[in-house]
Amino acid sequence: MRISIRDAGDAKVVEVDGDVDLGSSPDLRRTLFDALLHASKLAVNLAAIRYIDSSGIATLIEVLKDSQRRNKKFVLFGLSPAVQQVFHLTHVVRIFQIFQTEDEALGSV
Amino acid sequence: MSFCLKFVMPSDPRYLCVVRGAIGPLAAMMGWDESDCRAITLAVGEAVANIIRHAYHDSAGGSIELECRENADGLEFILLDKGDAVDRTKICARALGCDQPGGLGTHIIKDVMDTVSYEATAGGNRFIATKRLRKAI
Repeated sequence: MRISIRDAGDAKVVEVDGDVDLGSSPDLRRTLFDALLHASKLAVNLAAIRYIDSSGIATLIEVLKDSQRRNKKFVLFGLSPAVQQVFHLTHVVRIFQIFQTEDEALGSV
Repeated sequence: MSFCLKFVMPSDPRYLCVVRGAIGPLAAMMGWDESDCRAITLAVGEAVANIIRHAYHDSAGGSIELECRENADGLEFILLDKGDAVDRTKICARALGCDQPGGLGTHIIKDVMDTVSYEATAGGNRFIATKRLRKAI
């Protein structure tokens, strides 16, 4: 799994590439929690994720809950077919704010 | 002669990608479509990850055996470990769709597989799951 972060105004855009599983999700968790401290909004691009398991989903839920506690925005965009399938299996689609594109994700209130 | 694939591996999450790398192509070769192959790979990965997390408490020192057997209907997956017994009260205990992390893996396994069983034996814990290949009529 590779993670990169860039600034987009007051927001940060996080790109995640590869497999998110029990071994790699702690790295994703640390990165997202840290990035959330330094931005009013975090937008995570999930387009390049080939595999994500329940530990990855749990990580995203943890960061969402933390963003809510901090009154910050946490949004997802560009869900790959693998991510969409796991979101469907785990019924978490309604929990997150999900967008097709980065522009839509960054433009959301 | 039917196909049987066997892994004997440490309870180390670094090996999860190795398992996935075999299960997906095996399911594709059996005839499942891309979506089903992803789901089967996910479910087996969740079962192995559950052993690492809950039977061995994230210690990489345990052993896990995984057998994938072809049968007349599809595939059977058998997992053996010598860690702590499965806490049955935690299987699919959390409601789907709630905004709390954790507890989703067993839901995925149940949803993807056709049959799932968890057994405690003298030799350790045995997990068996089957996935039927529905042939076009």
